[in-house]
Amino acid sequence: MALLEILNLSKSFGGLQAINNVSLSVKENTVHGLIGPNGSGKSTFFNLITGVYQPDKGSLIEFNKVDITDKPAHFIAAQGLARTFQLLRLYGELSVLENVMVGYHPHTKYGLLAPLFMGSEVRRQDKLVKAEMIELLEFIGLAEHAEIPAAELSGGQRRLLALGRAIAMRPKMLLLDEPGAGLSPVNVDNLMATIMTLKERYNLTIIVVEHILKVVMSTCETISVLDHGQKISEGNPDFVKNDPAVIEAYLGKEMADDDIRLAMNS
Amino acid sequence: MSFLSKITDFFEYLAKRHRLLPWVFAYVALIPLPFILSALFNEYLIDLVNRICLFILLAVGLNIVKGFCGQVTVGHIGLYAIGAVTSAVLSLEPGGFGGALGFGWPIWLSIPSAVLVTACAGLIIGLPSVRLEGAYLALATLGLGESVRIFIAVTPALGSSTGLMMIPAPSIGSYTFDSFTSYYYLVMTAALVGIYFSFSILQSATGRAFQAIREDTIAASVNGINIIKYKLLAFVLSAIYAGLAGALFAHMPPGYLHHNNFTVIEMVTLLLMVVLGGIGNVWGGVIGAIVVAIAYDQTKDLVFYFMDRPIVIQPLVFGLSMVLLVMYMPRGIGGWIEDFQRNRRFIRKSEERASGSTRNT
Repeated sequence: MALLEILNLSKSFGGLQAINNVSLSVKENTVHGLIGPNGSGKSTFFNLITGVYQPDKGSLIEFNKVDITDKPAHFIAAQGLARTFQLLRLYGELSVLENVMVGYHPHTKYGLLAPLFMGSEVRRQDKLVKAEMIELLEFIGLAEHAEIPAAELSGGQRRLLALGRAIAMRPKMLLLDEPGAGLSPVNVDNLMATIMTLKERYNLTIIVVEHILKVVMSTCETISVLDHGQKISEGNPDFVKNDPAVIEAYLGKEMADDDIRLAMNS
Repeated sequence: MSFLSKITDFFEYLAKRHRLLPWVFAYVALIPLPFILSALFNEYLIDLVNRICLFILLAVGLNIVKGFCGQVTVGHIGLYAIGAVTSAVLSLEPGGFGGALGFGWPIWLSIPSAVLVTACAGLIIGLPSVRLEGAYLALATLGLGESVRIFIAVTPALGSSTGLMMIPAPSIGSYTFDSFTSYYYLVMTAALVGIYFSFSILQSATGRAFQAIREDTIAASVNGINIIKYKLLAFVLSAIYAGLAGALFAHMPPGYLHHNNFTVIEMVTLLLMVVLGGIGNVWGGVIGAIVVAIAYDQTKDLVFYFMDRPIVIQPLVFGLSMVLLVMYMPRGIGGWIEDFQRNRRFIRKSEERASGSTRNT
């Protein structure tokens, strides 16, 4: 069953057609890879799905049978769609714990002004949330840094925290924008292992954008390839790896086929 | 430092007993203040303390929208003016002095009405924040705030250049809050309750949403926070503080209101309080309000003679100190407080670790 259904998604910025008629369908409980050269529209694609940008007319995005095409970002988040950012966008001055607690925001049960009039109820609920979030932090290995500002974490810890903040939203689907960027190969492997455990634990469907092809090839069941805002290929890793259109997009026409095979298999 | 530590320890001990106990303690400790001041100095200082309390309300309210939520607003003093004039006009007797409007409402009705009106005005001043950010938002709110003052200055019904006079003082039964000392208890209570509420907001999901918007608006929206709703809420909350401060200011003895109380200079003073206090830190804002209000009072009559011509240097001093503060103390007093708290936490943690390891061996 398709959890996310995208039909004819387009977006242009002035004269630039960033995304051109892309259709995509992601099945529940799968890991879907999204690759493509720099500037091919992967991040724009995520921004369109999560409501950061509004798609052009004629596009349709359906998540969990709800039309989210022109909906604001917070509505889409409340439907159970979480994402991370390439540049993380953590709340630097807030503590690690507060960062994940903000992630839990869509599930807050008390009203906006409740803190003023029903203090004890607010504190009781916050206590429960805090306990739950500390458990999550323990799971991703940040519990001992819970009190320090997010800006003081190391690069790898920040990537974990960004992931934790998205998981705290209790999403059905998780969009990961280059989760391994800037990490050493060992750390990337650890991170992917964590992501896979989280997927099992919270029953997630994942779309992942990643430049480290080895990671994508080994974890994704289906891969879509974007180039210049268009989907040029889709299929299982083996099919995509050998698709001439993909090789051409990555290396240009004149490069030998052997080179790309080497690069993809390494 | 150790003295500060002891005070913090004491308040933490109280908070452990009951979370409201530190507040009750602070309230009780503040009760004898006017008697101490009038015994040691003079009555005038009580008036100063009253004004400090109002400025604390204003600064704490401004901190919600500017410090927590990160929206640069320079129209706060306009909201203060709206609260003051609304409550004054509603409570004045009809047919008052100099063509001023009057409705003769009881004060305990006029103050909440003024707060309500100011909250609506806060919503309007907040509307530009939906589309504008940073300096552009500051310009838009400055325009709105200053236009309120000019509107008051040119409308005889609202006092215009003579101001509103004989604004009645509030009373409960036969007791009237018409002296500095009695009014002190009114404004001190309001300030303390205001500080307490501001902490309640900060430590709840609402406060976290505000801070998330300040830190990263896009990430906050993707985390499920309705940006527009929370931005406007921050403006409305801060307007409620400003409205209450304004209404209390209107009825404060001697019951006189003039549009000169709401100029850009006052706004700069208010901003200076928040900046000195450290943006986003509640206690910093309170201390900033106290320090700046005293400094404002002390430098008010400071005149420097240049070739026998008097030059009032207060605006210069305030403007310059603002520049210096932003350059050399960007985190303000709140930065010191945070460092202090972090040190304490660090020391406590290492102590725990040390005692834990000795127990293990």
